[in-house]
Amino acid sequence: MLNKTDLARYLALCLASEADFAEIYEEEEVSETVVSLNREVQDVVRAVKSGAGIRLYKGTQSVYGFTNTLDDAHLLPIIDDLRSALTKTDRTVAVDLEEVRVENKNPVKISFEDVPLADRVEFVFRAEAAAKAADPRIVKTQGRGLNVRQSVRIASADSTGRGKVVDDTRVRTRLMIEAFAAENGNFQSGGYAPGAGKGLEYWEERTPESVGEEAARSAVVMLSAKDCPSGKMPVVIDNEFGGVIFHEACGHSLEATGVAKNQSVFTGKLGQQIAAPCVSAVDDGTIPGAWGSENVDDEGNPQKKRVLIENGILKSYMIDRLNGRRMGMEPTGSARRESYRYEPTSRMSNTFICVGTDSFESLFEGIERGLYAKRMGGGSVNPLTGEFNFSVREGWLIENGKITCPVKGASLIGTGQEILLNIDKVSDNLARGQGMCGSSSGSIPTDVGQPAIRVSSITVGGTANE
Amino acid sequence: MNKQAWIARAAELGIAELEIYEELSEKREVTWFEGRMDTFVTSSVLGTSLRGIADGKTANLALEKVDDAKMDEALALLREQAAVKPSGDADELRAPEETEEVEAADDWVTPTMDEIAKALAELEKALAAADSRVTQVTELGWSEGKSVRTIVNSKGLDVRDGGRSQILYAGVAVSENGEVKSGYRVEAVRDLKKLDYAAFAAKAAEDAVHQLGAAPVQSGSYPVIFERRAMTSIFSALTDMFSGERIGQGISPLKDAADTAIFSDKITVADDPRCPDALSIANYDDEGCPTRRKLLVENGVFRQALHNTRSAKRMKTVSTGNGFKAGYASAVGIRPMNCSILPGEKSLEEMMKDMGSGLVITKLSGLHAGLNHTTTDFSLLCSGYVVENGERGRDAALITVAGNFLDLMKTVVDVGSDLEWEYHRIAAPSIRFASCAISGK
Repeated sequence: MLNKTDLARYLALCLASEADFAEIYEEEEVSETVVSLNREVQDVVRAVKSGAGIRLYKGTQSVYGFTNTLDDAHLLPIIDDLRSALTKTDRTVAVDLEEVRVENKNPVKISFEDVPLADRVEFVFRAEAAAKAADPRIVKTQGRGLNVRQSVRIASADSTGRGKVVDDTRVRTRLMIEAFAAENGNFQSGGYAPGAGKGLEYWEERTPESVGEEAARSAVVMLSAKDCPSGKMPVVIDNEFGGVIFHEACGHSLEATGVAKNQSVFTGKLGQQIAAPCVSAVDDGTIPGAWGSENVDDEGNPQKKRVLIENGILKSYMIDRLNGRRMGMEPTGSARRESYRYEPTSRMSNTFICVGTDSFESLFEGIERGLYAKRMGGGSVNPLTGEFNFSVREGWLIENGKITCPVKGASLIGTGQEILLNIDKVSDNLARGQGMCGSSSGSIPTDVGQPAIRVSSITVGGTANE
Repeated sequence: MNKQAWIARAAELGIAELEIYEELSEKREVTWFEGRMDTFVTSSVLGTSLRGIADGKTANLALEKVDDAKMDEALALLREQAAVKPSGDADELRAPEETEEVEAADDWVTPTMDEIAKALAELEKALAAADSRVTQVTELGWSEGKSVRTIVNSKGLDVRDGGRSQILYAGVAVSENGEVKSGYRVEAVRDLKKLDYAAFAAKAAEDAVHQLGAAPVQSGSYPVIFERRAMTSIFSALTDMFSGERIGQGISPLKDAADTAIFSDKITVADDPRCPDALSIANYDDEGCPTRRKLLVENGVFRQALHNTRSAKRMKTVSTGNGFKAGYASAVGIRPMNCSILPGEKSLEEMMKDMGSGLVITKLSGLHAGLNHTTTDFSLLCSGYVVENGERGRDAALITVAGNFLDLMKTVVDVGSDLEWEYHRIAAPSIRFASCAISGK
């Protein structure tokens, strides 16, 4: 990693321009994915990446350069390009970097780098074996075991030379199991992919076997699935990864990236009712050991818990430093990026709808015909219009208040504004699920979550001709 | 990096074969917002990946900081990896092969920063003026990239390939009666000075304006045309069905389909990495295998899967030169390169006339989640327009289209003539289908 003296020297050079702020983000990441099919290792993709990104601001203009060869010969030309883009000056700034120490809320007990590869492979094999053993109709299993350590050093200074440098290390582990079930020529798959911001000790609290069994259960259920009916209907969306609905339908539109440029449906709505009164939601990057947690954001500011919606009222956006300038608001510690190859922007961390008071069973009461989305797939949203879509991986029909039979091929569409107001029940079984969220600053780990919720009406797209 | 020293040391440590893949990529991007430069990004990144074969097994490692002094440490990781692989499953590194390289058209003109700024400023004005309902130019940028790949291995292979591109993109917001919609346009631009700003702006604005007032149609089964952009996006998302690896693993829907009719006989699919009309070409794949043109589907019959060296070996055939990586750090996978559904005779307008009434789908969303790659079932948010008496009628939005891609492709009525590569590596013309399930009101 670059030392404090070099960082100060590079930052001082950056500030010999009309820039009023300069930042160097340095990163070293070791990542490894074990790819397995039927308990045979297909590939081990191990990568050691290291590089730095340099960013300068002038007001709300931003210039960014990055390289992975960290010496003067490569960094100085980039700094020169960036200064030119913001107009060079001969200003000399003495940069003084204060070393900021942050409490490590995500300590790791068993680092994957200290464990033999064969042991890391075993976690994947155990999950696959459990999936295979779960049902005779499971004919194939695919497993992926991901382990990552990302160490970052973030140094920044303003035009007075006052600055800080902060280090953080993020460790993550995840198992992604896909089970394939076959019966009478019908071939279906089911998947499950939990993970955490922890070391390998995580697989003691959530066993690999439980991951494989859940993937197998979902695949087998889909063997008897009928085509999903279409049209507007009440939908119960279960907990854990079901929270992707809030992530897509609302979360992205509360990121300052869109809000600051008046490109979100929620721009200017602070203090207003944007959701049903039974809905409160937070984005909390401080949950110890959570998949989307980190001690500091990718601008070196402490991660925070942000209350986004309280009893339906919009309370806060998620704001990075640059968009904070545009909005005249303080950053909320929400700047994130995939790697040094991306300029950070406001992103989610662990985002979820808070626990409610309705019982799970009561969500189905009074529904004559509706959809129970037990497992969600992914989705996407256009923050400007609020239009979202997402797929249902495991859906069930609700008939006369009862869950009846599984259905396949369902997708949910609508607008975020509408769906938030149409949530009429929130249950008490809050749980979070893990995902990778893609946006302009790359693909980052985020938790989604919620207790089971009921939406009084959503357009369901299905394949059944009814 | 002293590559020969790495190869020699690997051999001493029992790694009989070693491949060193390097990719140098350079990028420059300028974005523009409200009358001035918003962001500028410049970069130069070198990535190296090693593929070694030890005890008849393959191992991979990607590095960004290559230190000859730490050679043994890196090679030890390869040995550790080989030990957990099943035996008898080694990739084969390629020996040098004779091939006649094709020269890519090198008519890219690199603009200066001043020229980029001037063009973006003018384009912003053109976008704002393109339609009275444009309320904001939400996004505007210029991006250019160059990359060079080199592949060297212990069998004496030493090849080099590369590419470049220049992309202009813009987004606009339009509003009418309180309704807001967005439009987007991306174009590969070889010479910025020759760009028709008004035409570019008009297309971006048109994309958004058409969605104003668009409403769901009644749920039901409709005759449909997937316009080329929508067809390209769904076809692109499902080309993994042709992967020899997925077929070999039994998870492709084409696993037992060799030489059988999988699509309508009106459909022929070609993969041609050296296609001169496409945005970029590749003489070699990422294993150094020379590329070539092949028909994957001929008049509806599945003729050829895509292979890298490993999948070819497993299925006792030869690589098709499609061993491409998802990035320098990933293992060699299988990807189509300049793969298209070959165009037919009719224009979109002619197909609309023939259809009489139905729907034209212009845009599909949620392709990363709303598709089942094992069964090809899909259920996707889409937008487009209604066709009445063969003419374009009202616009449709917030509807979903659902079905099974393989079934759908058996019901092709006509294949359009409007194939365009634009900035894509996978492309399709507009295609008319007998019917498809639409969910709306």
